[in-house]
Amino acid sequence: MERIETDVVIVGGGATGAGVLRDCALRGFSAVLVEKDDLAAGTSGRNHGLLHSGGRYAVKDTEAAAECIAENRILKRIASHCVEETGGLFVSLPEDDPGYPDKLLAGCKKAGIPAKRIGTSEALRIEPNLNGDIRFAVKVPDATIDPFRLCAANVMDAMGRGGRCLTHCEVSGFLVEGARVAGVRAWDRRGGRDIEIRARVTVNASGIHGLKLCRTAGIELPMYPSKGSMVIIDYRVGNVVINRCRPASDGDIIVPGDTVSLIGTTSKKIPYEDIENLTVDDDEIEVLLADGEKLIPNVSKTRVLRAYCGVRPLVGAFGPADGREISRGIVLIDHAERDGMAGLVTITGGKLTTYRLMAQYATDLVAKKLQVEAPCTTSTQPLPGSELKIPEKKAVKGFSGVPRSVVGATHFRHGDEVKRILSDDPDSYGLVCECEMVTTGEVDYTIKNQLVTDIIDLRRRTRLGMGPCQGALCAYRAAGILNETAGVSGENAIGMLKGFMEERWKGIKPVLWGDALREMEFSHWIYAGLFGLADEPAPPKSAEEPTFDLIRLEKVEDE
Amino acid sequence: MKYDVVIIGGGMAGLIAGIRCADSGLSTAIISAGVSALHFSSGCIDLLGRTADGGVAREPFSSMPEFLAARPGHPYARVGENTLRASLAFFQEETACAGLPYCDNGDENHFHVTALGTVKPAYLSPEGVFSELVKTAFETRRCLAILNFKGFRDFHPRLAAANLAKNPLFSDWKISTGSLTLPPIAPQGKNPRELRSIDIARLFDTESRLGEVAEQIKEIAPGADFVAVPAFLGTSPRRGAEKRLSLLAGRLIYEVPTLPPSLLGMRLDAALKARFAARGGVFIAGDRVTGGRIEGGKLRFLSTHQAGEDAMSARFFILATGSFFSGGLKSRFDAVEEPILNLALDRTLPRNTWYSSKFLGDESHPFLSFGVNVDENANPRDADGRTVTNLFCAGAVLSGYDPVREGSGSGVAIATGYFAAGRVMALSKTPTGI
Repeated sequence: MERIETDVVIVGGGATGAGVLRDCALRGFSAVLVEKDDLAAGTSGRNHGLLHSGGRYAVKDTEAAAECIAENRILKRIASHCVEETGGLFVSLPEDDPGYPDKLLAGCKKAGIPAKRIGTSEALRIEPNLNGDIRFAVKVPDATIDPFRLCAANVMDAMGRGGRCLTHCEVSGFLVEGARVAGVRAWDRRGGRDIEIRARVTVNASGIHGLKLCRTAGIELPMYPSKGSMVIIDYRVGNVVINRCRPASDGDIIVPGDTVSLIGTTSKKIPYEDIENLTVDDDEIEVLLADGEKLIPNVSKTRVLRAYCGVRPLVGAFGPADGREISRGIVLIDHAERDGMAGLVTITGGKLTTYRLMAQYATDLVAKKLQVEAPCTTSTQPLPGSELKIPEKKAVKGFSGVPRSVVGATHFRHGDEVKRILSDDPDSYGLVCECEMVTTGEVDYTIKNQLVTDIIDLRRRTRLGMGPCQGALCAYRAAGILNETAGVSGENAIGMLKGFMEERWKGIKPVLWGDALREMEFSHWIYAGLFGLADEPAPPKSAEEPTFDLIRLEKVEDE
Repeated sequence: MKYDVVIIGGGMAGLIAGIRCADSGLSTAIISAGVSALHFSSGCIDLLGRTADGGVAREPFSSMPEFLAARPGHPYARVGENTLRASLAFFQEETACAGLPYCDNGDENHFHVTALGTVKPAYLSPEGVFSELVKTAFETRRCLAILNFKGFRDFHPRLAAANLAKNPLFSDWKISTGSLTLPPIAPQGKNPRELRSIDIARLFDTESRLGEVAEQIKEIAPGADFVAVPAFLGTSPRRGAEKRLSLLAGRLIYEVPTLPPSLLGMRLDAALKARFAARGGVFIAGDRVTGGRIEGGKLRFLSTHQAGEDAMSARFFILATGSFFSGGLKSRFDAVEEPILNLALDRTLPRNTWYSSKFLGDESHPFLSFGVNVDENANPRDADGRTVTNLFCAGAVLSGYDPVREGSGSGVAIATGYFAAGRVMALSKTPTGI
């Protein structure tokens, strides 16, 4: 068993946990983050990737709306390479309440959101694919944000400042000593070993999993999971965020993201025991596609790529003794106050847009517990990739031999880190994934710097396999590269390949018709037919499977 | 344009049907919308890879009665063993004439090695993949080198080696990997990291560079008596290119099909097209059949994208349009259809049962068995349920079999293409046509 001593241990590698790790590192605390899967593998990576302007909350919740617009402005500065400043529109259809746009404008004014009523012809000029029947349009500063790259950038920055991050390590419980949580015990899945992490403060940023986790310290933390499903369609059917101008409901938003568009979102209360085994239901797909088509008619002609769902971690009602609900959305719990259990802090609720603020709240409390005066600087310190803010045109000029489109895609995903990823060496810019223009250089960079241990991790950092072909060709290539340059054994690489195809399949099954079915028949021919992979039992994840910190990064010579 | 026979679809089933029809003296045209599934295939002919209980079939013909007993709608059940055997013999003759001989292992399946180092059963394979020579080598040699061309991303020897090492068949083998260097004449403007198998194969369309590769092989794999390489020995069928390289290198050279395009499949495609042309068949490439006119229980005309409405007429038609990937079947949100003639399909299940829970699991995906329902003569029925007597269906557009899971894709295509041609030939001899 490995033992680690640290000031702070953080459970959960979603946006909040990654944010806390970075905040701790910036304040000079030694900190270790433990994540059972990969960064942003849970709720953080399973939402619509909207950087809220706050407009969605303006009518009912001024405080949440004000938080959103403040964080929206901060993230556009510090995480510019994860944010695409698309702008957003709220549009009313003929059947929608004609009184709602005025309520929206009034709410936005109160929350400080620069919302502006515009004419319908202006709205159609901004977004030509919009339904021509819209009655009202309000322009808001919505944007999109990539949760995977955001988490990776936070963790990468923290690691550069001495923070540690253990992915694929599952916390089995808190170390409880009397009335105090003294850290966590974790199981390193890849290394096949126990790790005990002793910390002065433990931060629970595990989202919906907090209920189970807190029970290991005898604490009841009621959580009510709500499932949200989304559909991804091929290509960008629009270039701005389109919100339906009505009270929040299913199928009321279309968000462009990278090369695709997303229709969101449904909301279904589900039993807690179902959180590990979620599926998107047929009726959800029907609602999302039907409502999406009302906003942008082209949706019906566009290929559906996949569907997925996430769980919102809604925390149960708090009495006065239950701690502090610091905003209507964000919940910060000092378990010393609430449960008489020292050394433990829970940060939950909130939204992807407010992750930094949540991390700040949690780290402020950590600082108080460590009795250190250390102000938060995350609102002004740019993340790696967003430091120089090189415009794309300038980035392209920096590489003479590399195709512009390749530089463009890499720059879009990694900002000014592009200079560390690509070079004029053809090896660096050879494409591994043609759909998303992921290069060998980008794959190598994420393996070396961003805790990539398998093809699914790689997908989250680079979008490999997320395009129209859903990994038909690039998954095999990625398995080969992981084997050749990341010290993954051949047997494990093949297991990862199978695991990746199954992971893609989960999201494709609910939309298996038309071109999605056609594409999967092709993939099935290749992987089951040409490669015979269906006949092979997936190898169990062996204890010898290397963890990221055991991965040999230098190129391995062919035998 | 008027022909005796018009075949829709230029894949394996359409080509076999076309060659046979043309060979019998019928004026025959094939309309092909584009690249067929042959370009993604291993180039080996699988007849039946699994027994009734899901095990590996050693002798396909012995396993077949029990296998078919549970699958009365299977295309093999309709074709029958005699015609199936005749179709395979026909295939072997034709490919041999084209310079791409296919070898069998008597009535037994042999195996071939995939790019992931799995072994798959096949009934017929091109000489470079299976022959007496290769069979003996597998039995007697024990030192295998799996080589790639440096930077070629569609083949990864170490993955293949990892799987082979687990296979009991290779338990006492010594397996190594390594990289060859391509001649420095990468196609203009191409990043060498982005070469496809076909780009490399074009470099070897003549034998002039084989000596150079042979020298590299000797240097990189000095101890190996058996050398597996990604298929690269030219894009067209050429008798014995791998034999020539084997001689030069002093080791047995074995080509492994890579990620698409698959050279071994492309060579078979080229060989069959050459045979069809040699028989005087007309291959119309790049046109898509958009619809057809059925009158009085017969298909009279076809409309095509290029030639226009009712542009093609024939006494007989063969539908060999493939499955979903090739466009022979189409699926909408909750329905599957045959898009050209709206023929009656075999199975209509609710959409959430079209697939099984695992993508690469033990269960067959039901959608892979969807297709046109035909009678004992391979005649389909139209949307009104009436039999179309001068139209015959062949290949993956047919229902009732899972080509991948069963390991029967090529066998069914050959057998049903041959069978459809046989029906046409029989009926064309009657004075009234039908």
